[in-house]
Amino acid sequence: MNPILAAQGIEKYYGHVRALSGATFDVRSNETVAVVGDNGAGKSTLIKVLTGAVLPDAGRILLEGEEVDFRSPRDSLDQGITAVYQDLALAGNLTVAENVFLGKIPTRWFRVDRAYMDRESARILEELAINVPGVRARTASLSGGQRQAVAIARAVHEGKRIMILDEPTAALGVQEGQKVLQIIEELRQQDMSIVIVSHNLDHVFRLADRIVVMRAGRVVGSRAKTDTSAAEIVHMIVGTSSALAEE
Amino acid sequence: MAHPKGPPKQPNHSPLEGSEVVSGDAPELRLQSEARKRAAWLRIKTLGSSSIARLNRQAAALFGAVGLLWLALSIATPNFFTSQNISNIALQSSVVGILAVGFTILLIGGEIDLSIGSTQAFAGTLAAVLIIQLGMPIWVGIGAALLIGVVIGSINGYFTLIARVPSFIVTLAMLGIVQGAAFVLTSGRTVGGFPSTYEVLGRGKIGPIPLPVVILLGVVMLAQIVLTQTKIGVELYAIGGNRKAAELVGLRINRVLMLAFIASASLCTLAGLILSSRLNAGHGSFGGDFLLEAVAAVIIGGTSLSGGAGSTFGTLAGVLLMSSIKNGLIHLGVDTFWQQVVVGALILAAVLADQMLKGTLHARELVPFRRGH
Repeated sequence: MNPILAAQGIEKYYGHVRALSGATFDVRSNETVAVVGDNGAGKSTLIKVLTGAVLPDAGRILLEGEEVDFRSPRDSLDQGITAVYQDLALAGNLTVAENVFLGKIPTRWFRVDRAYMDRESARILEELAINVPGVRARTASLSGGQRQAVAIARAVHEGKRIMILDEPTAALGVQEGQKVLQIIEELRQQDMSIVIVSHNLDHVFRLADRIVVMRAGRVVGSRAKTDTSAAEIVHMIVGTSSALAEE
Repeated sequence: MAHPKGPPKQPNHSPLEGSEVVSGDAPELRLQSEARKRAAWLRIKTLGSSSIARLNRQAAALFGAVGLLWLALSIATPNFFTSQNISNIALQSSVVGILAVGFTILLIGGEIDLSIGSTQAFAGTLAAVLIIQLGMPIWVGIGAALLIGVVIGSINGYFTLIARVPSFIVTLAMLGIVQGAAFVLTSGRTVGGFPSTYEVLGRGKIGPIPLPVVILLGVVMLAQIVLTQTKIGVELYAIGGNRKAAELVGLRINRVLMLAFIASASLCTLAGLILSSRLNAGHGSFGGDFLLEAVAAVIIGGTSLSGGAGSTFGTLAGVLLMSSIKNGLIHLGVDTFWQQVVVGALILAAVLADQMLKGTLHARELVPFRRGH
């Protein structure tokens, strides 16, 4: 099966720091891929290259086999890729409903259709079993978990075929994290490809079909969840004895 | 995770509690989750308060302050609360108010326009030169002045958004350019004596209300509607609130902000036309302290210096408060030179209030992992 989204030989420098050195990655249709790696391995940079938030210095991105040139997140959104970034990308000064719809605010006779926005975002949040104080609450007044949920609700609402989640549980407490995991599990049931970056191997094994390991700006391995173990993944992450990792 | 309200699995019925989690897949917990979903639906329907409502309350409080000030001044001085004087305050507020609305729009988007006062002066001077010195029809003078507003706004926008120079510097440079250009246009002389039809703009009345005041109210209403009721308005708030986020969700930031720069400069030229009509002349120095006053009005009006929050109703209240204070000082017999000192002090006081308000907001935002309440 051909990958729906692929990155080949991606290079990215920040000054003299080489964040990505020939990273190659792909995700297939309806597949959930987890990207793991130590801090500074290049996970977030790779993700941002895939969404156009970071422009690579070299390499190609292929969408269903066709090369694409993402100059901004807008370009990737137009091509059906949505992302929940680590810093959530929410406007704290807007209401929950406005954030869910930001980027495609509905209008009616040039007026923002707030009734529709409130109703729809309430429905989406309800579907995801997300509790917020109200869809007209200021987003800045929500807890970390609630804001994470709003960010996911927006990504869900955008209804794209590829969803990228960067550390969706890292900033959360155990309970909030469990809730977000539940939401992602529900998303997996839908017709959607998911890329999830995580430090938490328990979460990775719970959610992913395949695990991709990054180290020093490269993708150093890819394992189907059923063919690997946490121990092997840890070895790949830290780069100890590749013989051990191959076992 | 330590849950402040009890053990994790105990259902929590506090209406504001939103972070509780149904973990695992125990069936009774699922059922609870269904019930909670329905409850959540009701909560979503009834609770929550928007930023707009909050800002409107703030503006209402300011209007109340204006009312109290008027009451105090009318007790303190016999000549304050006369229809003539109130009309004067409104008239004095109108030109600064229109500038301040433009400033508000741009500040909500997280940008600043320091050239508002001089763009205003330039527009009035240009109209005077075209209509009086060159004898062109009135509409040509007005049209040219409004067009120059679009050009100035576009240049400000280009250098800020495309060349990525901070708007503070770009518009400071523009302040010098248009101020100087206004003096160059007339070789430093005052050009006066507009045709009488032109004077309607600044001296006409609709019923008892001076036309500039009507125009100010129209501008305030229109701007408020665009800001709160249109897509581009909501996007402007989003950009001012978190530009990075706005970019990540695919908003066309440059387009929205470019329009804001053009709106600001265009409102300046409108204000300049009104002032030149009221004074029946144009000169580069007219409205020299308007920048200071407009900034004061906007900040008093509750528009956040860091962008993302503000309303033109608040700005209108801010202009009224400031004009009333200035007018009151005259009636109390205070030397007019003190006015600028007072306006400056008002800015500092308003900034302090803004910081204190924001201080509490930031405390909240710096703790994104806050659990429960």
